[in-house]
Formats: sequence, C-alpha cells, structure tokens
Amino acid sequence: MKQTNKIYIFLFASIVLAIVYLFFATHTIQQKLNSNIETILIEQAKSFAKNIDDELHEHIQKDPYAELKQNPMLQEHLEGALSIIVNDFFKYVFVLYRDDAGIYRYLLDGSDEKAHFNQRMSVEKKYWDSVYKTKQPVIIKQSELENIWVTYLQPVIFDNEVKAVVAIDFSTQLPTSIYNAIEPLQNVFLYIFVAIGILVFILLYQTLLSLKNKQESITDALTQTYNRTFLRELVKGIDMSKYQIMMLDIDYFKQINDNYGHKAGDYVLKKTAQIISQQIREDDYLIRYGGEEFLLFIKKGENENTLAFKIAERIRKKIEKTPFEYEDKTMRITVSIGLTNNPEHFKTLSLAIKHADEMLYRAKREGRNKVVSHNTNNTKKEHIERKNINEMKEALEEDRIICYFQAIVNVNTNKICKYEALARMIDKDGSIVLPYLFLDTLAHTNLYNDFTKRILELVFEKIKSKKVAISVNLNFSDILDNSIYKIILDELQKHQELTKWLTIELLEYEIMQESSLIQERLLEIKSFGVQIALDDFGSGFANYSVFETLPLDILKIDGSLIKNIDTSKTSYTITHSIATLSRELGITTVAEFVHSKEVLEIVQELQIDEAQGFYLAKPSADI
Amino acid sequence: MKKIFILLSFSIILFADSFSVEKKIYAHIINALYPQRAAVIKVWTDDTAKLRVLQSIPRLKIVKKPQEADFLLVHKEKELQSKGLIFTTDYHTLESYKDRAIGGFYWQKGRPNILFLRQNLKKHHIKLPEDMQEYIEESL
Repeated sequence: MKQTNKIYIFLFASIVLAIVYLFFATHTIQQKLNSNIETILIEQAKSFAKNIDDELHEHIQKDPYAELKQNPMLQEHLEGALSIIVNDFFKYVFVLYRDDAGIYRYLLDGSDEKAHFNQRMSVEKKYWDSVYKTKQPVIIKQSELENIWVTYLQPVIFDNEVKAVVAIDFSTQLPTSIYNAIEPLQNVFLYIFVAIGILVFILLYQTLLSLKNKQESITDALTQTYNRTFLRELVKGIDMSKYQIMMLDIDYFKQINDNYGHKAGDYVLKKTAQIISQQIREDDYLIRYGGEEFLLFIKKGENENTLAFKIAERIRKKIEKTPFEYEDKTMRITVSIGLTNNPEHFKTLSLAIKHADEMLYRAKREGRNKVVSHNTNNTKKEHIERKNINEMKEALEEDRIICYFQAIVNVNTNKICKYEALARMIDKDGSIVLPYLFLDTLAHTNLYNDFTKRILELVFEKIKSKKVAISVNLNFSDILDNSIYKIILDELQKHQELTKWLTIELLEYEIMQESSLIQERLLEIKSFGVQIALDDFGSGFANYSVFETLPLDILKIDGSLIKNIDTSKTSYTITHSIATLSRELGITTVAEFVHSKEVLEIVQELQIDEAQGFYLAKPSADI
Repeated sequence: MKKIFILLSFSIILFADSFSVEKKIYAHIINALYPQRAAVIKVWTDDTAKLRVLQSIPRLKIVKKPQEADFLLVHKEKELQSKGLIFTTDYHTLESYKDRAIGGFYWQKGRPNILFLRQNLKKHHIKLPEDMQEYIEESL
C-alpha cells in the first residue's frame, strides 16, 4: 500500500513538474523568439541606417542642418527615402541634430505624421548625448514608451564630428504578435497549473482534515492523552522489547467523584494526566486506559531495566506532593502503579498489559500509593503467562482446579482453629499456577460460575473429610451476582450439615454498592450457620460503616498493617485501634501476614484472636 | 507566473502610465502658471480625452464655456472668445495659436513633449520656474 502511494506521489509530482516545465518553456520560447527577431531587426535597422547615412553623405557636403535648411527639395527627397523604410515593424524613422543649447531638433522625418524641419523633439537625452560623445550606435530597449519596443540610434559623421543622429523606432507589434500567438498555449498551461494547484490545495486540506480527525479520534477529549483507539493502533506495530509498561490508577477516585462531584473528578483526571505528561519523555506514550486508569509505554534505555520503575516512582511522588486545588477545596491524590518490565517475555502485548494490571492490583492490595514491579527475568515463562480461557476450561474439566489450605491459629491456644482455602490450578506440566494468573481470565465469564462452584465443592469435601473449619474468599460482586449467589445458596443447601464449618471472606477493596441487597443476602447465608469475615480491613478506606451495614463475625486485619507492626508505630496504633474496636463490637479479629515471632508476640499483646502467615504455616495442598 | 501577469496587463499598465505621466505634467504646468493662486482654476477643454486627467488634478474646475475659463486646453483650432491662457494638446494646433498660446503638451513618436512660447509668456507676465526653463522656445 505504501509502495503504491509512493508511485502515485511520484507520478503526480512528475505531471506537475512537466506542466511547470512546459509553462516556463513556452515563456522561454517567447523570449528567445523576441530576442532572435530583435537581433534580425537590429541588423536590418543597421543596414537601413547605413543606407540613410550613405544617402546623406551623397547629398550633403559637411553641415546637414545648414544645407538642408537651404534646400527644401533635398529635404523632401531624403524624407521620401526615409519613408520607404517605415513599415509595421519600423514605426518611426527620423534624423535629429543637437543645437547649441543641447536641444534635439528635426532634420528629416520619414514617419507618417511628419514633424517640421527644426522642430523641437524631446528624446531620451542620455542615450542621444552618448551617440554624440562616443560616435557609436546605441540600442535603447524602450520600457516606458508607448508602442515602441527598441530604438536604434546611429551617428551621422562629417569631418569626424557627429552632425546628426539617425533614429529608427521598432514597433511593439511584433513582440505583441508573438505574445498573442503563444498566449493561448501559455494560458492552457497556466489553467492546468492552477487546476493542479487547486487540486493540491484540496488534497492538502483534506489530508490536514483527515490528520486532525485522526488525531481527535486517538485523543482522549478530557485529558488530551491518547485513548484506547490509539492503543489498538499501537499494538499492531509496537516492538515490545523496546518498551516497559506501566499501569497507573488514581486511588479512591470514586470517593473523589462521590464527595466532590464529577467536575472535581474530571479536574483530578486532567491534572493527573498533566503531571504524568511532564514526567515522561517524547518517546513515551501516555494512554487513558479506563476511567481513572492510565497506561504508559516507557521507552527502554540501553541496559536500563529499572527506568520504568524510576519514572513510576517519580510520578507517584510528584502526584502525592501536589495539592489538587479545585474551587475552594484542596485534595490530596495518590496513585498506584503496576509495571511490566519485560513485555517481550509475554506472548502478546495484551498479556503484558494484563500483567501490569496485575501488578497494579497488587499495589492496591498492598496499601496503594505504591509502585509494584514484578521482574519477570528470573521467572519461568510458563508462570508469567496468564492462562487463557481454553486452558481454564480444560483445567476445570480435568479437575485441575484445586485448593491449598493455610492454617489460621488461635493466638491464645496456639492451636489451629481454621484453614483458609486458596485456589490453585495444576498446569499440564504439573506445576502449580497461582490465582493471579487465571482469576482475571475467568472474571465475567460463565466459567467463573463453574469455578466458584468447584471451589465450594472442594471446600465442603475437605470439611466433610477433615471436620475442620475452612474459610473461602468471595468478592462482594459474587454476592450481588444472581447466578453466583444461587450457586452459593445451592451448595449451602446441599451441604447443610457442614455449613457451620464454613466462613466466607469478603474482600474489602471491592467498592460496595447496593449495600442493602448485600446485607440481605449475607443474612440469608448466615442463616445456614456460615460465618462472615471481612478481608483486608485497614487497607484503603478504613470505613467503619461496614460494622453498621454488614453482619460481620470476623475481621481480618490487612497484611500491610500486620507485617510492619513491629517496626511502624503507625501500623501498631492502627492495628491496636482496630483490635480494640472489634473486641468492643464482639467481632473476632484475625491478623494476616504474621511472618515472624516478633510480630506474633505483638499480635498476642494486642489481644487479636487469631493469626495466619508464613511464620505459622504456609499454604499446602493437604491439611 | 509574475511575468505572465505583467504581459497580460501590458496595455493596462501603459494606459495607467500615460495617465499618471499626463496628470503629473499638467499638475506641474498648472502650479507653474498659477504659483500664487490658491483658489480654484477654471479650465475649459475641447479634448474629451483629457477630461479624466484634468478632473483628477486638485484646484481645477472644468467649465463648459471658454469665456468662463482661466485656462483653455485646446486640441483643435477654433474661434475662441476668452481671456484665459491657451495651452494646446497638439503641435499643429500650437502653430495655429502661436500668437496667443503660451505653449503645449503633446505626444510625439510615443514621447511626451512640452513646449512654451517666450513671447506669449511675456504677454501674460508669466515667469516659469527654473526646472521648466528648458522647455521655452523663442518661436515656432
């Protein structure tokens, strides 16, 4: 296609050049014709002037003025000779002399409208005087005289002194005739030239319009960044090995919209885009990926695998430090960022983007206002690649979806009181695939229903066989989803004798909507004896209204607080506050991410009821 | 392209040029003949080709009767009952009025020619400025 365009452009340019060449060639031809004719006429004029000079010398001894004044017959005779020369090309033929005052006067006039002898004549004095001075002929190219093209002047010399000047005026008739003959041809080229000019102008205008439209179609109207249309184009031609991918999301954006209004939200989006733009380079691409999500392609430097991380940190810090002032309100904004450092390790760009999205998800999970980068260099490729829907379908059909179980320990008795079921997939090669590599693939598909059903079946099988309490993770959206809610209820109905051993952990990071429906459905679930736990409490907005709206039995304190509890006073104080509040409300507390003896001791000191973490037990396939 | 447009408008330019040349020369002549006079100068002419030029010159007012005119621009010889200054637009007419006319401005072989007659200038006590002295002829 590009090659064809080049050919068209070449052909078009050739035609334009040919027309331009012909246009100027006709002009050159005209000039050459004029020049040649001028030369011929000058030669002819020279010959005529010489004849006149000969004639004058034949009849005049030494003083033309005196002798012609005395001899009107001779005047008449010589003027007759001059008039023979006058024709369409030689318009005027006359002889002037210069008097003592320097004024030129007629001696002879061969023209149709004769001047009188000794009549004064205004001439181009500079040239005429030069003939007297140099005694040489002069050719004047007339540009200001009407109907006269060239004047040829020849001195008439007697006794080595110029006594008169023969003047022959060439008519403009001949060059005008040449011009008139060539004019139609030139006009044709001129019209073609103008037509091509108009065509080129229209084409350029259309191209500009098209470029403008294209630019608009790939630009997000609000933030003036690229949009997803641009991303679709980019995906087709990008060399993944030259870029690192950054997925950025504004933290708690929904709350900004809810609290300050959508205009404030738009302002935050615009300003965030502005700040990001200032932190990246011309080679980088900034794309508004979703509502408050931005996707960046950062051009890799040579041997620089941490560039995206550095830029991401710079953006994060800049946004964190910048006050967002809208009307009379000042907002503090933070962003979470996920990175894919080596997109070329992924099968497709969309998988690399999904990976960045997962890293973003982790950043959110780990407390937001964070950059999370998963260096894929040292990871086995099969573990990096997200599972596709067909692989998931096969895994479900072949019962390769399993549960790992991580023990939850009663802090007071130091005994295992419960297990948390954690979904895993057994890959075809027998390796274990973590849920972040397949959960997103399942989301919003029918397979997700089968997956949920399968997990609940596995959990109930384990409860039945081991007679242990097990908690299973669900999203708030699962409760709101009629199909999944039905599956949950069906499973609870089917295993009524085992439901008292079951705890459902709901993830806090999900935006809670339709809280009355959630409340109603959770109460229905609780009626089976199932306990309801809220997961990751303390990360994000520690919204205490959940205690009002949700029928909670257990509160799982977010790992990001617990893991730093021995080093961060803030984490300690927040955890203490949550533990005290829960105790007051009669809600069991569970500390996640207990990774050391020190942390466990503080958990005990804060009278948190239960704990889980790698220090206590790692997830395993069996109980 | 420029050359073509110049050629296309060749005659228009020439016309414009001769018009502006004539305007300049007549304005100069009028100023030389009436250096002190700030008021309107009444002009009569039988040369309709000169009307446009005369109308474009400030201070001039075209009148219909020769006897009302201060300045008569004559192209063809005729009986003129006027005390105004006679100036011709043709050499042969100037010859006809050589006893009365102060001068003439005419085109000869494509060239503009100005001519004043000394004895008639004297009759009207006209003294031309220095730059016009060269156009004064003793007689025809």
